[in-house]
Amino acid sequence: MSIQTAVVLAAGEGTRLRPLTRNRPKPMLPAANRPILEHVLDALVDTGVEELVLVVGYERDRVQNYFGPSYRDRPITYVRQDKQLGTGHALFEARDAVDGPMLVVNGDTLIDPTIVGDVADRFAEGDVAATLAVLDGPDPQDYGVVDVEAGVVTDLVEKPDADDYRLINAGVYAFEESIFETIEATPRERGELGLTDALDGLIADRRVGAVETDGTWVDATYPWDLVELTREVLADGVPTVPERERGVWVAESARVHETATVQRPAVVGPDSEVGPGAVVGPDVALGRNVTVGANATVTTAVLDDDTRIGPGSTLVDAVTGQHVRVGAGSVVPGGPAEVRVGNEILEGRPLGALLADRVRAVGNVTFAPGTLVGPNARLATGVHASGYVPEDAEVRR
Amino acid sequence: MCGIIGCVGHEGETTDVLVEGLSTLEYRGYDSAGVALGNGDLEVVKQSGKIDDLRDTVAAAGPEGHLGIGHTRWSTHGPPTDENAHPHVDCTGEVAVVHNGIIENYQTLRDELREAGHTFRSDTDTEVVPHLIEAALSAGAEPEAAVREAVSRLDGSFAVAAVIAGCDAIFAARNDSPLVLGIGDERDGVGQYYLASDVPAFREHTDRVVYLEDGQFVRVSASGWAVTDLAGEPAAPAVDTVEWDPEETGKAGYDHFMEKEINEQPRALRQCLSERVDELGGEVNVGDLAYLNPRGVQFVACGTSYHAALYGAQLFRLAGVPAQAFLASEYASAPPPIGDELVIGVTQSGETADTLSALREARSRGARTLAVTNVVGSTVARECDDAFYIKAGPEIGVAATKTFASQLASLNLLSIGMAPSKDDREAIASLRDLPADVQQVLDDSAAEEIAEAYLDSDAYFFIGRGLQYPVALEGALKMKEITYKHAEGFAAGELKHGPLALVTERTPVFAMVTGDDEQARKTIGNVKEVEARDAPVVAVTDGQSDVERYADHVLSIPESSPRTAAVLANVQLQLAAYHTAAKLGRPIDKPRNLAKSVTVE
Repeated sequence: MSIQTAVVLAAGEGTRLRPLTRNRPKPMLPAANRPILEHVLDALVDTGVEELVLVVGYERDRVQNYFGPSYRDRPITYVRQDKQLGTGHALFEARDAVDGPMLVVNGDTLIDPTIVGDVADRFAEGDVAATLAVLDGPDPQDYGVVDVEAGVVTDLVEKPDADDYRLINAGVYAFEESIFETIEATPRERGELGLTDALDGLIADRRVGAVETDGTWVDATYPWDLVELTREVLADGVPTVPERERGVWVAESARVHETATVQRPAVVGPDSEVGPGAVVGPDVALGRNVTVGANATVTTAVLDDDTRIGPGSTLVDAVTGQHVRVGAGSVVPGGPAEVRVGNEILEGRPLGALLADRVRAVGNVTFAPGTLVGPNARLATGVHASGYVPEDAEVRR
Repeated sequence: MCGIIGCVGHEGETTDVLVEGLSTLEYRGYDSAGVALGNGDLEVVKQSGKIDDLRDTVAAAGPEGHLGIGHTRWSTHGPPTDENAHPHVDCTGEVAVVHNGIIENYQTLRDELREAGHTFRSDTDTEVVPHLIEAALSAGAEPEAAVREAVSRLDGSFAVAAVIAGCDAIFAARNDSPLVLGIGDERDGVGQYYLASDVPAFREHTDRVVYLEDGQFVRVSASGWAVTDLAGEPAAPAVDTVEWDPEETGKAGYDHFMEKEINEQPRALRQCLSERVDELGGEVNVGDLAYLNPRGVQFVACGTSYHAALYGAQLFRLAGVPAQAFLASEYASAPPPIGDELVIGVTQSGETADTLSALREARSRGARTLAVTNVVGSTVARECDDAFYIKAGPEIGVAATKTFASQLASLNLLSIGMAPSKDDREAIASLRDLPADVQQVLDDSAAEEIAEAYLDSDAYFFIGRGLQYPVALEGALKMKEITYKHAEGFAAGELKHGPLALVTERTPVFAMVTGDDEQARKTIGNVKEVEARDAPVVAVTDGQSDVERYADHVLSIPESSPRTAAVLANVQLQLAAYHTAAKLGRPIDKPRNLAKSVTVE
């Protein structure tokens, strides 16, 4: 592939994934045992990108201290977007870090090398100034939708009202360096500038190519979508962790007691421990340094780094943030449930409970289906939690 | 204290390789710098000032050659002037030498050479070396023999590298100062080779290295390399592969290396603890060290590492093993009696001269020695009976941060592994929580506002008790090193025995109060003493006691065990020092008069 540089947009919080984004941006939420952004960087490096430019903003420390100055020997340049004024503005901030043509991707959507390669190949045909990937996506009304004629974009609409569109914009682009001038010349709306706004003129001139792709593309809209992301990753395999038996990946530094059971598909991340008699899986990802105590059961769940599940607890359809502690004998019986997100009430969602970073359930705590618990909340022994528990709350019986 | 580098086989880009290499060695010293290029003749460019200044000068002068040596200096003999900068040359300008260390008999040699008619241009000890080589050459010796003869006359610590006009090789020797050979691409009998004080200087070009031993001599040219002892007998050194990634020396989007290193402590601690902690099994894994069963422990260390040693000694004492911490420079001059004690040297770089000589003293009296260090293959790791690596990754900021946290974590592993006690399960669980707890401190710290509030204070005081006492000392050291403000740490109980006289409304007192036991209550008593003298109080607390009632500001840490609370409190003090220095506009990564690893006594 001839494009050497990729710009990854990783500055936005991802507000619909609150409260999981209290301490980190959406790209750093886990897909299986690693951040979404790490999978994105893998897709770029696997297709031959040599230089990575990360646009960071919201809680940028977390991105920088996780990846450091390079990823898989490709140097990373960090560019700050101090105010989140749209994806076009974010890309424009990277103008000094890029020479020549570039790939541009969102850091918070799971993609694979197929999509990246398809875009690069279409762009290399040389008849267009920009290229984007389109795919048969779910929920077109939530994304930008695209009309394509003979490999060229003829129309692009953000979040359309009508549902007569089929193809969505995957948010994977290739651009000439001149895109920066195009962005600069695009008027802002209320100070904000979306990347697709900047493409309007190019589309009118028939200079934006499109490639229909069947690569992996999964976006998390709500917190429980992290389970779906994990399922998707596990279906493709976990490259960073050895496969102990078919569909079961266990890091070398992890310890799984000989009497514990890990049911496929599942991944146990580095330094995690699974105690005697515990059952983990199917459809479970344990991040780094997670503890599942003796005789605990964890099914259809994503437990992020440093989480600790006490002996004899049961978690079904659960998503935890980092450093969550669930004491002995606690129960998340599972979904489906009615979940309240902001002003929306969503029905029939597959969520047992969502526990944000540093929630502490001391012991023997039960969770009604669909419970959301905010960061740092503390649930005392014997509490029955339900609905929404706010950040920093102390809940006693 | 200095950094040296050499390279062959980079025709046309030798200057770039040398200057780039020197910039990664800047942590070893940065008051003057220079290079010598060999291409038939020798060309020397050197000056006082930072390596960036040298970069500008060589860009203008444009010296080039097929081989070269370079140096970055931290003054020991003579002030940082252009004349005192290395490389040093002989009377004819045909021999150029760079040197790290101290030549103890330089005065005798200098007098002797002067008498023989040699003219000296600098105040340095180093300059005797090129003149000694010149003398041997003019007596008819071949270049290699001349350098060997010169080196054989030197007493003291040195890593030296020499180039001679008309000779296609670099000669180097080591005694008590670090020197590493790098082996780059080799094709058709022509190779690229490097010499340096430390691996990062050439890590961009190769990961294959030979760690030279004391008393070894090396000759490198584009046609190959050879390591011999001083008598010329061939040695068969091992070629190691280093794992560190050169990009890890980048700042990763942070303003300073120190800020990056503070922020990467969760990652550094994960590396330190990985595969060494088994919570469900209630054990730690420290390999064969678990069977040492020491009757007693003596720690030797300097600076920040000494504070880690004070903490480590307390951990061993808590587990019932008599243990003391000594300043390495004092230990070497006035050593305590040694019986069955294990002597543990704590040094980040593994090259700290004071610590090395204390360990040599201990070994000469029959003690078993253990190195706790960050640098694989460092002198301390090779000289001690055993080595335990803290695995923090390279640290570039002169003020130690992540390596202190990893030293504390390592000393926990060692004390639990060597001296089991009934509290081990709780300790092990708290160690597994430590990376996430540190992340919580980093996410929520109020240190920046506190730095702003007390920016124009007269002095900063730090008090703590028990395991928080070394943290008080370390907090003060960090504040001194990078802000140039006066700062002192005290055992909380000592305050009333003197230092209280210094306390005013212009001297904020940082008080570490964690837990809610008798120790905490006593420290709160000391807090009230300073509060009564109108000093502002910054409480570093896990919220278990009521110290917040007596404090003007609070730096919160999560509840944990007493041993990990020390690590967490220290992170808050690092941030307070960092933000104070940043607001004062100090050169945080390179504070005046200091160097990262101190390889002179």
